[in-house]
Amino acid sequence: MNSDSNSGASLNQGASVKNKLKMLLRLHKLEAKRGINEILDNPFSNFMTVLVIAIALALPAGLQILLDNGKSLSQSWDGASRISLYLKLDLEATQIEQVTSQVRQNLAIESVELIMPAQALNDFAERSGFADAISELDSNPLPATLIVQPKSTHSSPQASEILLAEFKQLEGVEKVQLDLDWVRKLYALLQLAEKAASALGLALGLAVLLIVGNTIRLSVQNRREEIEVVKLVGATDAFIRRPFLYTGFWYGFFAGTLCWIILEASLIWLQQPVANLAGLYQSEYSVNGLNLSQSAKLLLFSCGLGLLGSWLSVGRHIRQIEPR
Amino acid sequence: MIQFAQVSKRYPNGQDALRNVDLEIASGEMAFLTGHSGAGKSTMLKLICLMERATSGQVIINGKNLNKVKRRKIPAVRRDIGMIFQDHRLLFDRSVFDNVALPLMIAGYDHREIGRRVRAALDKVGLLSKEKNTPIMLSGGEQQRVGIARAVVNKPPLLLADEPTGNLDPELSAEIMKLFEQFNQVGVSLLIASHDLSLLAKMHYRTLVMKEGRLVQDQTDQMFEDEALKVDTMSETSDHE
Ligand SMILES: Nc1ncnc2c1ncn2[C@@H]1O[C@H](COP(=O)(O)OP(=O)(O)O)[C@@H](O)[C@H]1O
Ligand SMILES: [Mg+2]
Repeated sequence: MNSDSNSGASLNQGASVKNKLKMLLRLHKLEAKRGINEILDNPFSNFMTVLVIAIALALPAGLQILLDNGKSLSQSWDGASRISLYLKLDLEATQIEQVTSQVRQNLAIESVELIMPAQALNDFAERSGFADAISELDSNPLPATLIVQPKSTHSSPQASEILLAEFKQLEGVEKVQLDLDWVRKLYALLQLAEKAASALGLALGLAVLLIVGNTIRLSVQNRREEIEVVKLVGATDAFIRRPFLYTGFWYGFFAGTLCWIILEASLIWLQQPVANLAGLYQSEYSVNGLNLSQSAKLLLFSCGLGLLGSWLSVGRHIRQIEPR
Repeated sequence: MIQFAQVSKRYPNGQDALRNVDLEIASGEMAFLTGHSGAGKSTMLKLICLMERATSGQVIINGKNLNKVKRRKIPAVRRDIGMIFQDHRLLFDRSVFDNVALPLMIAGYDHREIGRRVRAALDKVGLLSKEKNTPIMLSGGEQQRVGIARAVVNKPPLLLADEPTGNLDPELSAEIMKLFEQFNQVGVSLLIASHDLSLLAKMHYRTLVMKEGRLVQDQTDQMFEDEALKVDTMSETSDHE
């Protein structure tokens, strides 16, 4: 022993608090590195683990992206909430004018288009190809129609419903119809799908915890001997836990990054078909990917899951290892 | 330093490894523990470093009753005890330096302090030039000395060694013993389990002889009956009790 230990028999007080903190920082750096090496040392099987986690994350995240897109699509669809007012057949032109101006006064209305019976018949004759048959008719069977476009602030299903009821009350209105009623149904469907996506996310999040936990369990078992030795020389469970927590964190980090790449690649792959489809509807709609804050959230979430998974697993399994 | 009062240890399989052992080893003392294979030497050491718990009786180390030490506090107890094993228990994926540094890292020492202490310990056991090697590149005797450096690097007041020379030839064994004597000279207490009688005969330290879990001789100082010991240690166990 050295000369500065006066008896050699004094109890160890360890280091000062400041030095301990400094050492702790160094240790963390060291163990973060060791945690990465643990993954890089065995690239193939660890890549598989990371890939599985990434896919488990990508499924609910991708679904969420599609739902968000679907929602913004159904909300942004101008024609979505157009309302058709079919007026009574026996109205005079002045009465039709009156109804039209009444509708126009509604503050929730963006625009109103009036289609007179004659014009409606013309359009129909042109489009249907029954022009000859129609010219045989002695009276026009079509009513005057008002095509109402609500303001975008009043185009939600609930607001449309209210408008619909208001228009029904108007004198001279025979029938009111919300065009593209399917949009409303789509909206409801989307909400249902969103619930399903949450459930899927929860289930797959749990799966990620299990995957990480199990991987960490194996790695604890592989290092059983090392853990025994470290315990023998006085390591606390917290000390032993740390590198494993880092490994879990890095799994989450790499998986989150890979998940992001998978999502972006899929979206790029979807871009062209979506543009084609949107073109058919004279729309310039394009799929929205992950913005910066969503990407950060994804990564943070995935790192958190990795950390949590290893934390849940490591304590239990380290406790089971006692030096012999 | 070490106090055993009516200590018994029965393993879960029903094996009685220690039976009513009373023992006191003073601070700064160096003692040997001997006896036939299965006599309970390792068990004794394991109770001291809390690898096992006594079934009954009190083990008191440094004034601390180990019965009262909770699981969480075990690491703190072990930090004050240097342990040396027959199979060295080194980490083969790390350098000699890192192996010896382990107790200091755990205790949270500053890295300059770690460097200083590790080199002092390696110097002491004559392995300063091998700090960058991994243990695999070393001979058995060198590996054991790395184990010793690791045990003393934290300057514990007590060293325990379980068959430290078990795998070594007499010359290397004598070297290791000389190291132990040097630690003892600066005040470290040592308890060394060994069944190597020829080695003990040369040493003239207090020798505790165990037989079937009992302490049957406590030879303070000087030569013990060579013949009696031979009969004790060689005769197979079994029969009575
Ligand atoms: N973990 C254990 N479980 C059950 N029996 C054990 C265990 N360890 C040791 N023993 C038994 O306890 C007795 C004492 O063992 P030990 O202390 O290792 O003796 P020694 O070190 O003197 O050879 C032996 O009979 C041995 O078989
Ligand atoms: Mg033994």
